[in-house]
Amino acid sequence: MALKKPLAALAATALAATLAACGGGSSDDNDGGSSGGKPEKGGNAIFFVGPRTVEHWDPQRMYIGRDLNNAGRLFYRSLVAFPASNDPEEGTTPIPDLATDTGTTEDGGKTWQFTVRDDVKWEDGQPITCEDFKYGASRNFATDVIIGGPANYLFTYLDIPKGDDDLPAYKGPYSKKGQELFDKAVTCEGQTITYRFKKPWPDFPQSIASLRFMDPYRADLDKGDANNFVIISNGPYKLEGEWKEGTGGKFVRNENWDPSTDPIRKAYPDTWDFREGDTDEAIYEQLLSDSGDAQYAVTERRLPPALFDRKDEAGDRYTQVESPYVDYVVPNFNSPVFKDPNCREALKLATDKSAWIKAGGGEEYFKPAYSIVNPNVPGYTENPSFADIPDEGDIEGAKAALEKCPAPKPVKIKFTYSGGTPTSDKQASALKAGWDKAGFQTELDPLEDTYYAVIQKPDADFDVTWGGWGADWPSIGTVIPPLFDSRINLTGDSNGNDYGNYRGGPEVDKMIDDAYAEPDLDAAAEKWAAVDAKLGEDIAYIPLEITIFNFLHGSKVTGYANNVSVNGYADLAVLGVEN
Amino acid sequence: MLAYAIRRIVTGAIMLVVMSFVTFALFFASPIDPADFSCGKNCSEAQKKETAAALGYDDNFLDQWRDFAVGVVAGRDFPDDPELRKTAPETIAHCPAPCLGYSTERSSTVTGLIKETFPVSLSLAVAAFVLWMLGGILFGVLAALKRGTFIDRGVVGLSLVAYAFPTFFVGLLLYKFVAIQWELVPLPRYTPIAEGGVGGWLASLILPALTLAAFFMAAYVRMTRSYVIESFNEDYVRTARAKGLPERTVTFKHALRAALTPIVTMAGLDLAGLLGGAIITESVFNYPGLGKLAVLANSDFDLPTLVGLVLLLATFVIVANIIVDLLYAVIDPRVRLG
Repeated sequence: MALKKPLAALAATALAATLAACGGGSSDDNDGGSSGGKPEKGGNAIFFVGPRTVEHWDPQRMYIGRDLNNAGRLFYRSLVAFPASNDPEEGTTPIPDLATDTGTTEDGGKTWQFTVRDDVKWEDGQPITCEDFKYGASRNFATDVIIGGPANYLFTYLDIPKGDDDLPAYKGPYSKKGQELFDKAVTCEGQTITYRFKKPWPDFPQSIASLRFMDPYRADLDKGDANNFVIISNGPYKLEGEWKEGTGGKFVRNENWDPSTDPIRKAYPDTWDFREGDTDEAIYEQLLSDSGDAQYAVTERRLPPALFDRKDEAGDRYTQVESPYVDYVVPNFNSPVFKDPNCREALKLATDKSAWIKAGGGEEYFKPAYSIVNPNVPGYTENPSFADIPDEGDIEGAKAALEKCPAPKPVKIKFTYSGGTPTSDKQASALKAGWDKAGFQTELDPLEDTYYAVIQKPDADFDVTWGGWGADWPSIGTVIPPLFDSRINLTGDSNGNDYGNYRGGPEVDKMIDDAYAEPDLDAAAEKWAAVDAKLGEDIAYIPLEITIFNFLHGSKVTGYANNVSVNGYADLAVLGVEN
Repeated sequence: MLAYAIRRIVTGAIMLVVMSFVTFALFFASPIDPADFSCGKNCSEAQKKETAAALGYDDNFLDQWRDFAVGVVAGRDFPDDPELRKTAPETIAHCPAPCLGYSTERSSTVTGLIKETFPVSLSLAVAAFVLWMLGGILFGVLAALKRGTFIDRGVVGLSLVAYAFPTFFVGLLLYKFVAIQWELVPLPRYTPIAEGGVGGWLASLILPALTLAAFFMAAYVRMTRSYVIESFNEDYVRTARAKGLPERTVTFKHALRAALTPIVTMAGLDLAGLLGGAIITESVFNYPGLGKLAVLANSDFDLPTLVGLVLLLATFVIVANIIVDLLYAVIDPRVRLG
């Protein structure tokens, strides 16, 4: 998931991945909470959505971590899901949800079978069937109607040939073009669904548990785009009335949800009021004063820096957890300067991530990163190319490397970054100071709305740029290939997410393919770590930091937990409020 | 007068056509591809192309503008795909005339969005308008009557202070202290009359209307004071006084009436601008009006909504201009329209 700072509300960014709570009120106890005592049934809870509005409630279109988490805890269930846990392993290991088990494969992940429970229902009392799952999967292919979701993963794996337009020959359930191809790739036999892939997808269950693209959907209620904010619940809550963008909606109990079929969702509060559109300042002034409705509220918005000094007022209502994101800079391999490995080496050594972190607010907001991979993604290891460099950089080493750089001295470079805020400008200046000390002469080029449009052009005029990313599910396979596999990123007009125009060549391509094909997840993680090491050797990126989440919640919230299973956000599955 | 009104209406309609054209042209001059916004982050080039085609962004802007113009007159279907209409008619959204487009970002027709949000902006604008006109004119006249005194200086000084503070600052200040810390008013959340009755509706408007009114009132105090003082120096006021008319009549019937002409002009335009949404105030107080909608549409490059809002705002301003011009004749007998 790309972390697009200025366009955060716009560019769909999925959350998945894993992370560990690192303080505050996080809890390892699924049943108990760290603040407000043991949760009990009843009461009315509030979720402050904030200014970043929900883009989609259509499960096949959702791709923002906050919404994926909340929907999965309150009203959408899938074949498997992550249990409410803060244990890094338990919290990221899928357990059965609407399926009877976590899926079976007998060919290393090329074919997956799940059996749907026969005692689960939609909010209108209709049983959830295998056909509902098949229909839900089919909607991903209607790229003219179901826009914005993570369908690309299914296009890559599901055994459906490509058409002339470089997209799958199946065009979804609306036009039904190529329906026979889909009917061959996904089949239902009774309540058992079988997915057939072109190549092994060993961590397919993790993808189902993290994203919602394989959720079931009701064909008889499907109205395409008009259903974007329509919620057809199969979880403990259902939407009362309509969702209003910019205002939100209220969720009440779904009488057709049977708690005995659900091992994850405790559904303590009677209602959930999702309030959308408040500014961060408005949300946090309410939470800090802990008055009125805010006593029953949680949020995914971070405590604004201007109010950070007041965090102690909140006592144990303040929690701090690592986000699943990593920020980094990339040298542009198309730039005359950074084509040369010595110039890239000098840039790497001169990068002062301490100064970047300090300029961004300090250690309460960021933690130094030593890989493009978040430390809590299985298989993470510090990248050897970055592990031994001091956080302040190695200016002498950088100077020495720069001597070997063939570019005229001082080496003039342009740093194009996502600007528009005083903080981003300060952070860019902090990096510039380090680079310039080593002998670069850095020109700062802040861009706002046009940032991604510019850096995604292969012929863009910049030498270094910034990026942010987090895994779509707990696998390095959702980090490295989306960012550095030139085969899927580099086209004539665009570099996709490979902003530095890095080409790994046959060696890296083969390493990526091998890692993808590895059916054993532990062995695959090791292979991915090897790819990361190679990227470090090539200096395809330079890691900067891991963002830290700072949250507050109301004093009448019980069982509050920032679980790893929901990426460190408040776990609405186990949270309650006082009556 | 009728001929004048018709001429103004026709000119206004032409201006709206030009406005829509310019908005489309500006949108397409931007280097940002709107299909990128809709397609999401892990989109291949092929998917982006498909998305652009589905949303109609692959046509050149002249064709898109033509389709838009046809929709305003005759209505449109979204997506306008004959094949989909046959195979899955339930997925087609019909937008009846006057259709301002369909927002795929918000999954709604633009006219539907405007219908939903306009009452909020209207409520806010009217509440603020009443406050600032009453306060602005009363305090302005008071300052003019007490010219040079402590009262005059106090009123002018306070209005300067109110004018100097940015709207978002005043809004946040009121929100933080009046609503949250002192709990003097309920947390501002727009409540329609249908939900909260007239009392609930008015209560929900107090803080945002005060925020807006503070800014405008300050300008109107100074404007009224200056125009009334100017009028006091006119010959007809001197004549009125010489005739022995009471000071109240001189002030309100002669001086203020003349001063009202430019104030009404300004008020009309300001109100029209506000009807199109008070962007900052609605954002600070999270009021789901046209201003908030404009912010959201702008942030995700939602062309149909932006065009619809630009046209709506332009319509308000043009209509307000026409009404103000016609009101001149009523307020000032020297004006004759022809």
